[in-house]
This record gives sequence, C-alpha cells and structure tokens, in this order.
Amino acid sequence: MSQSPSPGPQYVRVCRVGDVPDPGKTVVEVGDRLVALFHVAGRFYALDDLCTHDGGPLAEGELQDHTIRCPRHGALFDIRTGQALTMPATQPTASHEVKVIGDEVFVRIPEE
Amino acid sequence: MSLIETHTGWTPKSFETFARSRDEPAWLSALRRQSWERFLSTPMPDRSEEEWRRTDLRMFRFERFGFPGGPSPAAAVPPAMLAEQVARAGRLVTLDGHLQDHWLDARWEAAGVRFGLLEDFVRRHPEELRAYLEPQLADTPGDKFAALHAALWSGGTLLLVPRGVSVDEPLYSLMAVSPGGSDFGHTLVVLEEGAEATLICEHAGGGEGPGLHCGATHVFVGPGARLRLVHLQDWGKGVWHFAHQRALVQADARLQWTLAALGARLAKVNQYVGLAGPGADAQVNGVMFAEGRQHLACHTFQHHQAPRGKSDLLYKGALQDRAHVVWRGMIRVDRDAQKTDGYQRDDNLLLSETARVDSIPGLEILADDVKCTHGATAGRVEDEMIFYAQSRGLSRREAVRLVVAGFFQQVFDRITIDRVREALEAAIGQRVRDHAEPPG
Repeated sequence: MSQSPSPGPQYVRVCRVGDVPDPGKTVVEVGDRLVALFHVAGRFYALDDLCTHDGGPLAEGELQDHTIRCPRHGALFDIRTGQALTMPATQPTASHEVKVIGDEVFVRIPEE
Repeated sequence: MSLIETHTGWTPKSFETFARSRDEPAWLSALRRQSWERFLSTPMPDRSEEEWRRTDLRMFRFERFGFPGGPSPAAAVPPAMLAEQVARAGRLVTLDGHLQDHWLDARWEAAGVRFGLLEDFVRRHPEELRAYLEPQLADTPGDKFAALHAALWSGGTLLLVPRGVSVDEPLYSLMAVSPGGSDFGHTLVVLEEGAEATLICEHAGGGEGPGLHCGATHVFVGPGARLRLVHLQDWGKGVWHFAHQRALVQADARLQWTLAALGARLAKVNQYVGLAGPGADAQVNGVMFAEGRQHLACHTFQHHQAPRGKSDLLYKGALQDRAHVVWRGMIRVDRDAQKTDGYQRDDNLLLSETARVDSIPGLEILADDVKCTHGATAGRVEDEMIFYAQSRGLSRREAVRLVVAGFFQQVFDRITIDRVREALEAAIGQRVRDHAEPPG
C-alpha cells in the first residue's frame, strides 16, 4: 500500500477537505494557537483567529470572496495574506501555510 | 461555535468522592456542594462579556486537570525565587495542595499567632474561621472559576494575628505545582485590631507543560492594623492561573499589597481592595513582565466605602515578544465616602513591535468631596535613550536593561521588603531581551 506524501515538518493535520464547505470557514487548533481556516474557490487559507485591532475572533465574522470581516468593529482582512484592508485594523494578522494532500488539510505551525 | 467541550472527567461522581474524602464541618461540605452546582450551571466565560473580552480561553481544557486531594505527588518541590531568604518568622510549603513543610517561630505561636495549612485549621477550629470563610466563598456571582475554587479548595494558607500582636519578621508561604499538576489553595489572612505582620506568598512550578491554579485570597485588616502582603506569581509558562483576591481594610488600618506577575501561560486575576472603615489606607503595587505568548490580565478594584479613605495603586508592566497584558482598573467611591483620596496609574513599556497592552482605567464616583486621579501610559523604549547610553560605553543590551530598570524603579521604591525588591529586579533584568533592529 503506498503511503501519502508527508507535508513536511511542522505541519499539523487539522481536518479533511470535506469538513469545511466551499465557501466556508472554521477554527482549528494548530500547535499552541487557534487558526481561522477558510475554504474558498477550491483552495484553503489560514490566518490567526485574531483581529489585530482589538483581538476579535475573525472566524466568527462575515466571509466574502477572499475577505473576512471582524465581527467586533468591521475591520476587513485578506484571507490570502492576512493583510488589513480597512480600518480600524492597521496591522496584518499572521498568515499560515496550508497544504492539501489527498483529502487531508495541513497547516504549518509558525516558528516563534 | 464554542470550542470548549463539557468537562467529561469532572463528573458528579468524581465530586462526591472528593467531597466525602474531606472530613470537614457540615457547613463547609454544604458550601462545597452549592458551589459545585453553581460551577456546573455557569457557562464558560464568553468573549462577549466585557470582563473576558480580551482574554481568550478557548484553548483551556478542564479535562486536562484532576481534582485535588489525590496522592501526594512524587515530584520534588520546584525551586522558588524567594524561599529561604524571607522565611524568618515562619514558612509553609505545599505542592499540589499537599503539605511539604511547615514551621512557625515558637515566640509567635506562644503569642497566639496562627500560621499554617488552612484546611488543617478548619478541621481543628471550624467555628473560629467560619465567619471569615463562609460569606466570602459563597459569594461567586456568575464567575465559573470562583465557584470552582469554592467547591474544590484544598491545602491553603492561614495567617491569623491576634489583637495587638506585632510580628516583626516576614512569614513565607509557597504554593507549588508539579508538572501537569493543579493547586486550588485558599489564602486567608486575618489581622485583628492593632496587629501587624508581613506575609509573602509565592507561586512556582509547573514547568512548560499545562498546570492549573484556581485560587482565592481573602484578607481582613482590622482597625488600626498594619499588613504588608506580597503575591509573587512565577509559574512555569504552561500554567493557567485564575485568582480572586479580596482585601477589606478597616478604620485607620494600612495595607501595602504588592502583586508581581512573571509566569503562567494565561493569568486572570481579580484584585479587590475595600476601604471599609474611615481613614483606611491601601497602597497597591503591581509589577508585570510578560514575554513569549503569555497573556497576563489583571482587573483591579479600589472600593471606597467610608470617609477619608486613601488608596494609591501603581502598576508597571513590561512586555516583549508577542505577549499580551490586559489591565482593567476601577476606583469606585460610594456616596458616604467623602474626603476620599484615590489614585490609580498603570504604565507599560513595550519592548517589541508585536507585544500588546490594553490598559483601561476607570472611575465611578458617587460622593462630591473627593480627590480621584487616574492615568494610563504605554510606550516603546526611546531610541535616543539607548543611543545616549551606548555613547557612554554600554552595549545595546545593557542599555535596554538599564531603561527597563529605570522604568520599574518607581514601583520598586514603594516595595519596602528589601529581599522582594531585589529578587524582582534580578528576575526582570534576566528576562529582558533586546528586540530592536541594530542600526545600519
């Protein structure tokens, strides 16, 4: 039986592809932190579940195309890069590498 | 969707086993049961509540920890910052709530001072401490962790100083946890009229793995009494620390309360000082240093209930790496608390671009002849100060350390216990790292 290729060191399996609708989002634990995982147009993206304005939970916000709106004060972030697109956020939130191997989704534990 | 599952290991059966093992007076058993019911029926804190808005508990798992009262851990007591240097009049050490060491100078025992393991005293003198314990433990409105503590407290520290007795050397209490262990210690301090004492409480241990402290401190400073109280929290970086601390200061009494927070993965502390009698005086000193991904949250409350009370709170915090400090302060002056003099200040020094502090002072004043001041600051280390120090021959790292030492000096000068001040200075100096990019 052939083995699935490994995603590499520091990658954590977080879910199966089918667990997150497209478009859709969820929160997963990666190492020691909570990560907002987005599934849009057949691809996965991962950001810290943390708005850099006031610490709001991004994954509870409204997902539209490739943007997520923080539910607390409406700051908009690009889910592909973590970049803050609108006030009141001015700093990007951390973006994490995602790999999909077969049916499994992996997110890379960030180095501190 | 909540990520916190119902705590599967914490069943009614587990609680009953624990409660039956206690050998305690009926009023205490009843209190535990009521508190346990309250714990079960109170939902986990939600970030929509103001109190928890900036403190994210979603990674906390109750089921990783066990009930207190199991077999004594095989681990050794971890090293502590203060230990021998300050235990002059007495010493108490617990590990996961189990007694490890206890002594009290015979002179103070003869004078009627009680110092030792709280759960032992409650068994031996149940009615003597009931008035101090029962109302405080029963008062847990809407707070899941306070209810858990009231249900499961064990071990603990008691200091009771009788009327007029002046204990002129410090007493020391260390509550430690083993790696993966938990501590539910309750600290009760009672100074009767005119008494004096110094008590230094330290928390240490836990290592890098998860640990839990769910504790409470209740302090009664009688009329004219003088108490110096220190809480030094230096847990390992994996420990979750929840603590409710409450002091009532009676007429013309004085409390100097120093709280230092250096460790823990996440610490959520509520510190309440009630100036309950006319002329009560409380000085509160806060020292916080957060690094890595630590989250330290301290909610302070200065409650002026009677006239001519004086409260003076100064918190200083330094942060580096991706640490997050939350300080929420409130001064409340009741209608009858005329001639109140209340002061509250929180200063923060950010040593990295990715650290974050939320500093929120508050005032609620119902009297009309008072003096109340509050302020909050947050800033980076000034490049000019670093350059000036370097031009005098210091390395960049030495220069940053010097600036941090200077930043904390104002609060250190208020700590009148030399050994505590020196230990904090040394601990913070060791932790400081330089995060700024080198020039050029």
